[in-house]
Amino acid sequence: MDVALSRNGRRLLSGFFALLVVFLYAPIAVLLIFSFNDSDIPAFPLSGFTTRWYHQFATNPDLKAALGTSAIVAAISSAGAVALGILASIALARRRFVGKSVVSAVLLAPLVIPYIVFGISLLLFFHATGIPRSLLTVVIGHIVISLPYTILVLVPRLTQIDTGVEEAAYDLGAGPYRTFGLIVLPLILPAVVSAWLIAFTTSFDEYAVASFVVGTRQTFPIYLYSALRFPSNLPQVIAVAVVVLVVSLIVIVGAEIARRFAERRLAA
Amino acid sequence: MGRSQGSLRGHIATPALLGLPVAWLIAFFVVPIVIVGLYSVDVYSLFPGAHGFTLGAWHGFLHSSVYLGLFWKSVKMALIVSAVVVALAYPVAYYLALSGTKRKYVLLLVLIAPFLTSYLLRVLAWKVILGNNGVLNSFLAWTGIRSANHPLSQLLYSRFAVILVLAYVWVPFVALPIFVSLDNLDRRLLEAASDLYASRWQAFLRVTFPLSLPGVVAAFFFVFIPTVGEFVTPSLVGGTSGYMYGNQIADLFSTGFPDWETGSVLALFLLGVVAVLTLCFARFTQAREAT
Amino acid sequence: MERKLSREELLKLAAAGGAAALATGPVGLARAALAAESGRLQVLDWAGYGNDGGQSMFAAYVKKYPNNKPQFTYMTNESDALAKLHAGLRPDVFRPYVGWTKYFATSGLVQPWDPKLLTNFKHLNPFMVKAGQYNGKQYGIPDDWGFDAILYRSDKVKPKAKSWSLIFDDRYKGKIAWFDDLNMLTVAGLYLGFKNPWNQTDAQLKQSQNLLKSKKKNVRLIWSSETNLWEAFGSGELWIAYAWPNDWVQMKKKGLKVVYMRPKEKPIAWVGMLMLLKGSPRPKLAHAYVDAWSSAKSGKWLEDNYGYGHANTLARPTSSDLLRALQLTNPRAVTLPNAYLDRDIPRRAVYARMWEEVKAA
Repeated sequence: MDVALSRNGRRLLSGFFALLVVFLYAPIAVLLIFSFNDSDIPAFPLSGFTTRWYHQFATNPDLKAALGTSAIVAAISSAGAVALGILASIALARRRFVGKSVVSAVLLAPLVIPYIVFGISLLLFFHATGIPRSLLTVVIGHIVISLPYTILVLVPRLTQIDTGVEEAAYDLGAGPYRTFGLIVLPLILPAVVSAWLIAFTTSFDEYAVASFVVGTRQTFPIYLYSALRFPSNLPQVIAVAVVVLVVSLIVIVGAEIARRFAERRLAA
Repeated sequence: MGRSQGSLRGHIATPALLGLPVAWLIAFFVVPIVIVGLYSVDVYSLFPGAHGFTLGAWHGFLHSSVYLGLFWKSVKMALIVSAVVVALAYPVAYYLALSGTKRKYVLLLVLIAPFLTSYLLRVLAWKVILGNNGVLNSFLAWTGIRSANHPLSQLLYSRFAVILVLAYVWVPFVALPIFVSLDNLDRRLLEAASDLYASRWQAFLRVTFPLSLPGVVAAFFFVFIPTVGEFVTPSLVGGTSGYMYGNQIADLFSTGFPDWETGSVLALFLLGVVAVLTLCFARFTQAREAT
Repeated sequence: MERKLSREELLKLAAAGGAAALATGPVGLARAALAAESGRLQVLDWAGYGNDGGQSMFAAYVKKYPNNKPQFTYMTNESDALAKLHAGLRPDVFRPYVGWTKYFATSGLVQPWDPKLLTNFKHLNPFMVKAGQYNGKQYGIPDDWGFDAILYRSDKVKPKAKSWSLIFDDRYKGKIAWFDDLNMLTVAGLYLGFKNPWNQTDAQLKQSQNLLKSKKKNVRLIWSSETNLWEAFGSGELWIAYAWPNDWVQMKKKGLKVVYMRPKEKPIAWVGMLMLLKGSPRPKLAHAYVDAWSSAKSGKWLEDNYGYGHANTLARPTSSDLLRALQLTNPRAVTLPNAYLDRDIPRRAVYARMWEEVKAA
């Protein structure tokens, strides 16, 4: 007999699980339904099927500009976060040194700072140093936010890898850069990709810090926030929301499948 | 792991590795916070006028029933959200970890996936659903369950809305640490309990739950800490009664008449509380690991 | 302000413009001076007034000076503008509202305009023009304006009196919206009958603040953007709101039975004041920009598209509803006995803090 769950218990819990999943996805489904609803206001009863909101958003220059801006910011900041993360993770995973816990604390501290506090501190910092607010300042902030996540993904993977292969490479005369490029990097690649994805999605979705340090160009969350407060374009925004949500779900699932596949191959 | 790390030849020195990341964080994380601190005691200011070290703003804040009251209001809200979220996530994490279902990782992914999509978009979904003429109320009116003149109006622009939406946002995330600690549970302990004639309930209370507590506590903190300073959701669905501490900080910096000094004080106070809580949590997990 | 040309500058201009320019007289000199201004005009303005929708307002300027097209930075409010200015932003013009005229005039950040350079100046409403003056100098040029009054659903709400009391009415708990501005304290002061709500004593301020704190429970929403108000009011979530004339027009368009009430304690009139920053390298271009904004054509566009009033007395909107709501046929609409023109608040920092406390309470 099962020591953790009775048959009734299992049925109850699986029912609860199903309900929770429904609760989690229902609002997304609601958005999906109303993105095709032929009415300015999302409300019952439904008014007929239309794809014009999708057409409108596809031709909305502000929205597309915002999406593009966010993509650029996310790409640059995630690259930066992963690069810095790799450096830091190698040190944390492979080296012993004095003050390791302090350094770890500093590197992971952005995880706990409330974003509003961080956004404001960056605002004041850029004022004090005379750096004008722009996409660059957003990138800087996002690298800080994403760095701990990349470290949290890379360090476990680095500790998992047997250093034997690396040492063999050194014994054969390879320098640190060649060893890293030819041995370590391929082994941690799935984790690097995961880290990059996490950093990318964090940056793409990030509103709070961006709202304080952005210049004149809007990122997508900032566009979205103002659309939410000033909802004259609500149906279009719903259409965008559906597209972004569906795409991100596909990417998440795809990435996970790919990661499993890659790790299984690497383990073999 | 291989031989002692210090003696491996040809390695890049540790400072070279750590230099860039740590420098980045010092420049763009530590220094900005220090500047906020300086601002809060009026040593640094953007606006002209007489400035000099003073604890006036701190004094005013600590003696103000309004600001501290608002902080307490936000703490209560965050406590409720965290408790609700953990209570909802625990059963599903338990189910996934301990029911022996073959596809537990897939189902876990199904559970977590919404968290990895856009936060603002999920708030948008609720804004569309709640509201006097929103999806829920119009559905109730359409099906005749409630008359169109009496919609459930406390759904939107209320403290309830803030709690509901925040709980919705965090539930997927919280399932993970609880799942991990339940998944790591040694089932032999449960089998031993059963051999000793304990019922499943007793086994749960005496064995499973206590052993999963670190995961539960971790989950609780992971939600509580960011939620205390939350301002985006309250500004979108909170209305007047859902106005939170984070909103006040944002307002002090962006509306009315610039009062960045008070804003800095509020921001640092929040940071201080969060730092203390994080330290307590870190100590707690270290202590647990030691036993 | 006329740039007093020193001897050196005069000679330099002569050299630059050539003898021919000098020979054509003062107009030629002015043109030559203008020719010396270069670069894009830097404008710090509110959302909707720049290239994000307000292009028609300054189209005439762009046509005349295609090489000096305006470049926009946006201000969310005067507090934000103040912060940006102190942080080193150097626009040529920006737009605070009339309550800040004295503050900026005495701040050392702005310089007066020269009305003689503005062709549309003579058509601007004289009361609004006066409100933009300080110490006899014209610091602000009025353009957009409106009222703060009360919008309510006549089919749901029966006011006890034509008064500001309606936004504090306990009978309509949960159906009221306030405006997110420290002017709520001023309105509370008006309702409580204080002599000078813009400069209340500490005791009076406490009274106003307590009134607001005690009545906040009736308030569903404190709005800061009109579209947020429209969404909530239009969907029936609100029955009473602190609102501008266009909000009444928009709700009427949605088919709602609405009334725009002028309280007996009087509505408040707000006016946007374009200001010229001190040290601007493009003062003449700035004048041309403001002149374009002040034309009757721009005025009509503003009224028709954004529902705000325009200071140019020749501008008339297409909508007769808006005409009525703004009382455009009455040149004294913004001043007593019809309304109180918004004005300087000497203790603005205190008002701001007290308003924040109301929101936090």
